[in-house]
Amino acid sequence: MFVAFFESVKYVGHLLPISFLRVFLGYYYLEQALLKFRGDFLMRPRLAAQIAEVLPTLQTPDWYRLFLESVVIPQWQIFSFGLNGIEFAIAISYIFGYLVRPMALLGVVVSLNMLVLAGPQTQDLYKTFVAIHLLMAWVGAGRCLGFDYYFFKRRRGIWW
Amino acid sequence: MKNFLVYLVFVFSGLFLALYFKNSNLSTGDNKPTLKVFGSSSFISQWGPGPWLKEKFEKSCECHIEFNDSADSTILLQRLKSEGRNGGADVVLGFDQYDIDNATAGLEWRKINTDNINFEDSVREVLSRSHLVPYDWSLLSFVVRKSDFQSLPKNLNDLLDPKLKGQIVLEDPRTSSPGLQFLLWLIEIKGEAKAFEYLGKLNQQLHSYAPSWSSAYGLFQKAQAKIVYSYVTSSVYHLVEDKNTDVVALEMDEGHPAQYEFVGIPATCKNCELAEKFVALLLSKEGQKTIMEKNFMFPVTQGVREGTVFANIPNYKMTVMEVLPTVADRERILKKWSQLRRTE
Repeated sequence: MFVAFFESVKYVGHLLPISFLRVFLGYYYLEQALLKFRGDFLMRPRLAAQIAEVLPTLQTPDWYRLFLESVVIPQWQIFSFGLNGIEFAIAISYIFGYLVRPMALLGVVVSLNMLVLAGPQTQDLYKTFVAIHLLMAWVGAGRCLGFDYYFFKRRRGIWW
Repeated sequence: MKNFLVYLVFVFSGLFLALYFKNSNLSTGDNKPTLKVFGSSSFISQWGPGPWLKEKFEKSCECHIEFNDSADSTILLQRLKSEGRNGGADVVLGFDQYDIDNATAGLEWRKINTDNINFEDSVREVLSRSHLVPYDWSLLSFVVRKSDFQSLPKNLNDLLDPKLKGQIVLEDPRTSSPGLQFLLWLIEIKGEAKAFEYLGKLNQQLHSYAPSWSSAYGLFQKAQAKIVYSYVTSSVYHLVEDKNTDVVALEMDEGHPAQYEFVGIPATCKNCELAEKFVALLLSKEGQKTIMEKNFMFPVTQGVREGTVFANIPNYKMTVMEVLPTVADRERILKKWSQLRRTE
C-alpha cells in the first residue's frame, strides 16, 4: 500500500500539483477542526449563535430557514459535533488521499451551508472552497500521493 | 460505499472518545473555584481586553476564569433566562442601554458598589438606571477615508448625494446594536415620520445592511464601501494598529448617539464575591486603560484618557436620548423598518 502511495507519482504525476493543493486544504481543515475541538465550540451554542445572527437577513428558501430555526438551533450539540466530525474527516481524507472523492462532495455540501451562514465577509472564501472541492472530486485528487491510488488499481469504480 | 461509511464511523468514534477524555480531564482539575464570565467575542478574543484581565485576576484570586462567548446580547439574555442558576454565569458583560429593560425583566441582578469610582460626566446619566454598571462607551458616527472625498459630508442630507450611491454600509437594526442605535437616534432627532421618510431615501444610497458591526466594518476595510456606521473611536484603531491617519469619524451637525456597554452580576451567581472583585478590576484605572486600548472604546472613569491618543479625539456633539423607547416601542419600530425594506 505504501509502495503504491509513492508509485502513484510515476503514473499519475500530472495530478501532483493538485495533490499539493489537496494536502494544503486538508491541513487548513485540520486547523479549523482542532480550533473548534480545543475551544468551546462543542460545549457552547456557538453554532446556534452564528445562525441566529444571520437568520433575519438570510435570503434562502423558507424550508431551509425553517430547518435552521426548528431543527439546527435547538439541536446545536448534535450539529456542532457533526460539523466538527466532518471537518476532521475531510482533513484526514485530504492529507492522506483516502476517499477523496466522496469526502470532497461532503465538503461541497458543508461549504455551501457555510456560504449561506458565515456572512458576507467570508463568502468569497467559501465560494472558492466549493470550486476546489468540486475539482478534487472531479479529478479524483487522492490518486496521486494518496491511498486512493492503491484502491483504484485494485477495485476501480467511482469512489477513488 | 462500505469504506466510506466505515471511515466516517471511525472518525466520529475517534472524535467522541477524544471529547470524552477531554471532559474527564477537565473535571479532575484542582479545587480552585471557577468564575464564569459571559461576554461578547470582541471582549474575550485574544485581541480583546479579556485575556489580560484574566491573567491579572487569576494571579491574585486563587481561582480560574472561564470565558463564555456570546455573539449577540439577545441570545445571551435568552441563555441567562433559560439556564438560570444551572448556567452558572457569575459576571455578564456586553449589554447596551437598550438591553437593560430586557435584562432586568425576569432577571435579578446584584447591586454593585460604585461609591468610590470617579465616573466621567458623560456616563453619570446612565448609572442610576439599574444595577448594571457601564464599563466602556463611545459615540457613533459615519466613518470614512478622507482620501475618498473632496469635502467630507457634514450632515445627514449630504449622505443623499448621488455620488455616494451604493457606497454606504449600515448595520441591520434587528441584529446589530449600532444599527439599532442609528435608527433610534434618527427618530430622536427627526421624529418618527420624518425619520422613516429620510430612511426611505437613504436606503437607495446603501451598499447593504450588514448583519453585524464586524460584517459592516469588513466591507469598509475591503474598500467595498466608502462610508460605514461605526464608533468615533474606530479612527484610533487605524491610527494605532495601521499608523493610518486617513480614517476619520464624521462630525455630524445633528449630533451623535452614545453606546454604553454594561457589566452585571446575576443574583444567581455562584462565586459572587469573586465576581465583585472582577468588576472592581474592570473599573480600576488599569482595567479601564486596558479596555480602552484593546476594545477601542472610551473609559467610563476619569483620568484614564489623559496622555493617550484617545485624548486627541475631538469632542463630538452627543445627542442625549431623553426617554429610551420601551421594548414594545422598539418592536413596533423594527417592524416598521422591516416593512419599509420589503416595499423597496
